[in-house]
Amino acid sequence: MVASQDTGAFGELIRRHQSQVRNFLRRLTRDETLADDLAQDCFLHAWDKIHTYTGSGSFIGWLLRVAYTTFLQSKRKSKRYREIVEQAGHEAEHGPTAIEGDPAAELDVDTLMAALNEQERVIMIFSYACGLSHREISEATDMPAGTVKSIIHRAKEKIRTQFEIEDHQYG
Amino acid sequence: MADKTSDAVDRLLASAFAADPVADDGFSNRIVSKLRRRIWVNRLALPVAILVGAAFALKPAVQIVNALLPLLNAVPIEIARVPMEFLPQIQWVVLGGMAFAAGVTLVKMLEET
Repeated sequence: MVASQDTGAFGELIRRHQSQVRNFLRRLTRDETLADDLAQDCFLHAWDKIHTYTGSGSFIGWLLRVAYTTFLQSKRKSKRYREIVEQAGHEAEHGPTAIEGDPAAELDVDTLMAALNEQERVIMIFSYACGLSHREISEATDMPAGTVKSIIHRAKEKIRTQFEIEDHQYG
Repeated sequence: MADKTSDAVDRLLASAFAADPVADDGFSNRIVSKLRRRIWVNRLALPVAILVGAAFALKPAVQIVNALLPLLNAVPIEIARVPMEFLPQIQWVVLGGMAFAAGVTLVKMLEET
């Protein structure tokens, strides 16, 4: 139905997945308005490229790949987008990385992501915010699955070390 | 040990990334409307271009035909007379083409609705 350019069926797909796509882009950009603009572009691109979805992986995995590509393209093309995204990255990299007293006491996503570089942040968002498998992340980012695994492992180690997380916590 | 520690980080990340679903609030409908507009623009682009092109080409085409008409005098009258009665004039050919393009567009619109 969708492959035959049925806007009604595609609208149903948008309703089903918009929350995940917008959340993903909000995590990446840390700007709701920008994320929603990108989400709109993402769904328009998805409409144009729907014939490339072969059904071999999950649809949301494919859609998030389109969203990530849209994000990267906008970052390259638009000065405004680039400024907002760079500002977000700068804040994440130079934001509060240590909390007085218990380092793991008030950890939110921004604080945790501040410990990681951009590539690690993207992979962790795919993995933990979107729940994609290593294979799906590998497809979305054009990285070998082994590289994805090692980036996740390295990012987790960074978080564990920086925030002194013990194995009994967060049980 | 390392695995258990990783599990704690996993749990921390899972809870930190837990987010409420984003309310649709007309987001999906806006995109579908935009898509439908875009589809119509794409469908109308070619017929409109044909109509505009035909409108611009009409006058020069008529002038060319008028300029060529004297050449018909070179054709023996017995040969020219009968076919000329049946040949449509250039204005009718162009108008017919435009009507055909408009008809195709109308049919596509009816199919969509």
